[in-house]
Amino acid sequence: MYGLDAISAHNGWQLSALGISIVFTGLMILSLIIAQIHKVLEFWDRKHTYWQRIKKLVRRKHRSEETASDLVLPKNVKESTHRFKLLIEQMGEPFSLPKLLGFSKKCGILHSRSSVNELLRAKLIIPDGNGYFLWNHEIEKNIKVSMKTSS
Amino acid sequence: MTVDISLIESLDIFADLKPAEMEQIASLMHKTRVTEGEVIARRGNSAHTCFIVLSGNFMISFNKGRAITLHNKGDVMGCSAFVAPFNYTGTATALTNGEVLSMPGQDFLSLIKSDPALSDKIMKKINEIISDRSPFLTGDI
Repeated sequence: MYGLDAISAHNGWQLSALGISIVFTGLMILSLIIAQIHKVLEFWDRKHTYWQRIKKLVRRKHRSEETASDLVLPKNVKESTHRFKLLIEQMGEPFSLPKLLGFSKKCGILHSRSSVNELLRAKLIIPDGNGYFLWNHEIEKNIKVSMKTSS
Repeated sequence: MTVDISLIESLDIFADLKPAEMEQIASLMHKTRVTEGEVIARRGNSAHTCFIVLSGNFMISFNKGRAITLHNKGDVMGCSAFVAPFNYTGTATALTNGEVLSMPGQDFLSLIKSDPALSDKIMKKINEIISDRSPFLTGDI
């Protein structure tokens, strides 16, 4: 048996169709991979930036998980907290942060800016979203509780 | 102090730049130490320089007693150096000792004029910062 009859008898048509489909599938996969290579190269070029972003996200997550009880105010700030609170009570809430700093300087509070910064970091002073600030009574309670329990 | 490109890479505002673009930006930057209470930009003065926070804590005060505080690396102060009429709209004061990157506004503008792609990437971020802060300037919150 020769020619087309032999091809048909030994599944030649099916085998050639299978071969063609395997080759074309392979070519398609290869072309898809090549089409995405620029993304891999870009990622490789900017791996430091991505790594920094991941680190930043992790840092932000840790910061948001930080609770009031975790916050430890330096001793000198604990002392000035009461004086700042009195000033804020006099000014009324919401208050202007630059004005608070001005008053605290007049009252002779040492390192008033860094002390206010500690209060901001401890979330005892919080922004109201309109450019003014509020005294956070909830955090104050928590800090008092944690101070009592630690003493 | 000269600025290393890895430092530029770590800043959000320059995150989308290519390494060659970062090198161009790094060549314009200078590291400066600031001390508690130091005023690094004063409202109404000509805005020659933009500052990027590396460490420390800062307050920007606007009119009518409004203010915002900046505590994170990459926070930007003095965007007015890139925008007409080139006058600072707020007073930036260091609340603690820290370190900033300073960038002369005119040098930066010359650089982005010669590179529209770079201009698009950076000005987009600067516009975002300005639009976030503009309510504090106008009081329309």
